[in-house]
Amino acid sequence: MMQIQIPYDPATNPLNNNEWSFPLLEIIHIVGFAVAIGSIFMVDLRLIGVGLRRRLPSQWAKDLAPWTLGGLAAVLMSGPLIFSSDPNMYLNNSAFRFKMGALVIAILYQYTVHRKVAFADPSPAVGALTGIVSVALWVSVVAGGLFIAFV
Amino acid sequence: MSVLEVFRWVQYTEFATAFRESGLVYPVVMTGHLTGMALFGGMIAMTDMRLLGWAMGGTSITETVKQLRVWKQIGFVLTVGCGLMLLMAKAELYYHNPFYWTKMTLLFLVGVHALVFHKSVYGNTEELDRAPRVPARAKVAACLSLFIWVGLVAAGRSIAYWDVPGDLTPSYSSVGPEAPGHHRR
Repeated sequence: MMQIQIPYDPATNPLNNNEWSFPLLEIIHIVGFAVAIGSIFMVDLRLIGVGLRRRLPSQWAKDLAPWTLGGLAAVLMSGPLIFSSDPNMYLNNSAFRFKMGALVIAILYQYTVHRKVAFADPSPAVGALTGIVSVALWVSVVAGGLFIAFV
Repeated sequence: MSVLEVFRWVQYTEFATAFRESGLVYPVVMTGHLTGMALFGGMIAMTDMRLLGWAMGGTSITETVKQLRVWKQIGFVLTVGCGLMLLMAKAELYYHNPFYWTKMTLLFLVGVHALVFHKSVYGNTEELDRAPRVPARAKVAACLSLFIWVGLVAAGRSIAYWDVPGDLTPSYSSVGPEAPGHHRR
């Protein structure tokens, strides 16, 4: 694995000099991803056809879109701050690299394929495939985050 | 047997020991715990936001509550099931951790909340939909639910920030991973 070193001293970061900032950021990060991924999963379950069937995928997607975006905003603001506490550790952590790759793909997928398919109320097969790929991508992001501390 | 003795016994069962020493199975179960939480917590948040009138404006309260019920339960079972495994692996460390007991108290309050508000709110959605405005008791229920839910996350995360006093520490090491990158003092 290619090593990356950026000249940065974490001790200069105020987040590392305050006992509360780090856990607080983690709590925002977790609540944010629960709202973002929870709302995405709701549309996915409908697309796959295993739940929430009394309304169309497009109706769920429309209702939930602002919450997916809000949750992602919370995650994308808290995440970089957490990263800033020790960038060289994260940059050279294989799980973190995996997570960032999965995250970029998941967000691109969410706002291209997933959005388009959900709003078009697709056939069951297309819906199921779209939903399963979405669940797999987001679970990969969560798993990547957890494995950071284990690899 | 005291609670501590039960916790000690659980953590040294064959299953708990194998799981504790499994290396990568541990983070996989944590992934299940957090994925279940996204499902369960995300849906609870959406239901509460619907009651408060902040989300899901296109869906009636009845539809929101009914349609989410089964998957909320599945998410709950996944979260609690994985959580129990994580607890069993290092039960004695959790026993000494005040944030663990805070979390369990909040979990207990989830049950109390459900009992208190089932009849008037979550099992009474058709009347809430008919009312010209969502009644105050439903909004109170939603606010309390959101507080408990965020509190559970906060208490759960805080567990990793509490150091068990040295003389109480069992032979294996810390509770879960230390917060990565966090320079602990």
